[in-house]
Amino acid sequence: MTTRRIIVEPRGLASLRLTLGIPAASVLLALIVGAIFLALTGNSPWEVYRQMAKTAFGSARGLSETLISATPLILTGVAAAVAFKMLVWNIGAEGQFIMGAVFAAGAGIALGSGTPALIAIPVVILAGGVGGAFWASVSAVPKVYLGVNEIITTLMLNFIALNFMYYLIFGSSSPWRDPEVSQFPSGRPIPDSGRIPEIFGSQRLDYGFFIAVAFAILAWFLISKTRWGFEVRVVGDSSDTARYAGIAVPRKFLGVFLMSGAFAGLAGSLYVAGPVGALDPRSLDLGLGFTGIIVAALARLNPVAVVPVGILMGALNNAGPSLQSIQVPAATVQMLQGAILIFAVAGEFFIANRLRRPEKKPQVAVAAQGGEA
Amino acid sequence: MNESTLILTLFAAIGLGTPLVFATVGEIITERAGNLNLGVQGMMLVGAVAGFWATFNTENLLMGIIVAMIAGAAMSSIHAFASVTLRVSQIVSGLALTIFGTGLSSFLGEAGSEPLVGNPSKAVFEPILESGLADIPVLGPLVFGHDIMVYVSWLTVAAASFYVFRTRMGLSLRAVGEDPASAESAGVNVARVRYVHIMIGGALAGLGGAYYSLALVPTWQNEPIGQAGWISIALVILASWRPSRALFAAYLFGAAERLGFTLQTLGEPWSNIPSNLLAMLPFLLAIIAMLLLTSGKRAKFLGAPAALGLPYFREQR
Repeated sequence: MTTRRIIVEPRGLASLRLTLGIPAASVLLALIVGAIFLALTGNSPWEVYRQMAKTAFGSARGLSETLISATPLILTGVAAAVAFKMLVWNIGAEGQFIMGAVFAAGAGIALGSGTPALIAIPVVILAGGVGGAFWASVSAVPKVYLGVNEIITTLMLNFIALNFMYYLIFGSSSPWRDPEVSQFPSGRPIPDSGRIPEIFGSQRLDYGFFIAVAFAILAWFLISKTRWGFEVRVVGDSSDTARYAGIAVPRKFLGVFLMSGAFAGLAGSLYVAGPVGALDPRSLDLGLGFTGIIVAALARLNPVAVVPVGILMGALNNAGPSLQSIQVPAATVQMLQGAILIFAVAGEFFIANRLRRPEKKPQVAVAAQGGEA
Repeated sequence: MNESTLILTLFAAIGLGTPLVFATVGEIITERAGNLNLGVQGMMLVGAVAGFWATFNTENLLMGIIVAMIAGAAMSSIHAFASVTLRVSQIVSGLALTIFGTGLSSFLGEAGSEPLVGNPSKAVFEPILESGLADIPVLGPLVFGHDIMVYVSWLTVAAASFYVFRTRMGLSLRAVGEDPASAESAGVNVARVRYVHIMIGGALAGLGGAYYSLALVPTWQNEPIGQAGWISIALVILASWRPSRALFAAYLFGAAERLGFTLQTLGEPWSNIPSNLLAMLPFLLAIIAMLLLTSGKRAKFLGAPAALGLPYFREQR
């Protein structure tokens, strides 16, 4: 028979200090774990972290690349945040991102160079949203109408989308493939009229970053300030309560699922219409969808908080490849991101609960724990 | 397709399915305790690098297997702590484990002054039992001539089946997965049962990962397991949480993986099917199986543990 030494009790509303402090502590603890592994493999953690900070933030060029990397992560982060908030387990942002890119590049190529940019750019961007929502619907419709678990289907669809993209570029002579390059297959460039312009005087950074931020704010507005968003939050807290209140739960579920897919798809369109400029598998299979889950978790599912967290993860992604110049694996970054997610997830416990020691004289808890042998 | 092509394909399917057998049986045991661990991909990858590293340094395959299992179990204990003790979302916790494990595996393979990456394994599982009964038509060439781990996987399936359905501990395990509150009042320590079976699942995932780096692709490269971890999670449903069915589900997916190669050997027009489309096949198969098996009322008869995915709050009893 054991007596509990620590009592766990639910906390009401956590303080702001705590809701900001725990995610910050998650990042710090992940850096410590990373430092241990770096030290064990004969690297200087200090040197590695300094190199990363320098690459990500140390110059105008670096900062610009960080924001470019952050742009898709903000939107895949929003995609995960809106879904997870309503307990829609859309793990398919990866595939929806790719299908968004496929649709966006397809729209840009189909419109050709004759279409005015004022029309072409919005069409290309929105095509990505449609592509993402379409790919989400493949999981969402069986989930809502037949009860088929969406975790597995969204996951599997990621790899189908990935191979479909490979097929379009490497396995066929599809319209997405550049016909003028035969040696090493690559994507056909989207005409300039469909590309999001670079910010004047910047280093490669385009307006896509601000579009992503605007979408994040839109998501926050929809969830926090509209009647629809209120009902969605009720469903997320308890679907029974929602049903009693007369909310059409399946329709809400479907709506959130498709919206989540659309945001992931928009990440794809901003990426191909922005820095990449073509359906280029080598730039699109980097796990940006999965990283979006980290972004959402660390931002505690708040679409606005996703923006700064997305920038942080973008900084890490940007810094990764530069580590190879000091003979440190680029995978260091992925290891750090995974560790951040683990600590962020564990941190939710400390935001939701309070720990305290029992009063000096512990109550007789034997009866309450009678089952424990 | 002539007979020898068919037998060759099925023989290869057994080899390719073997890591899936280990990982799927492991995940079945974990899910039987009511815990969904989406970290299989990460645990397999860490098992793969740990097993390769151990064999690389000791030239001993048994050592590789043991270290891989310890590494997989250690990884799974992170998920156990987060989802059982801290009771955070099992889904997010498992995903975190996969992302961390994927990064850690690549990191460990590339880090250091003499990285593992690109090195062939110092020892590889070799076929055994090649002679003797292999003359029995069809069954003979399919059953004999595999490496020892294939036979170990059969023993694992038999042992897991026996354990889950025929032992007292298996009964406790199933009770915890079905109705933890009742199990607890019957004297079962729910948290302990979940911890133990999450870690058994982790050890088997680690073993499955090591089968890639020590048998199927015995030269270290990043992410040598493909998407085996994710596939295993789908296979649990296809196997309807029964270890014996995991064997056949895994071989079906092994065959799907092998199909591209087989079609190449058949020549035109089969060899013209683009490899990128064939690569979709296992994932399509998983989705179709999900639709067929878990649509509507059918899901009820599949036998999913009733408390799967739910955290257990003892205080709220």
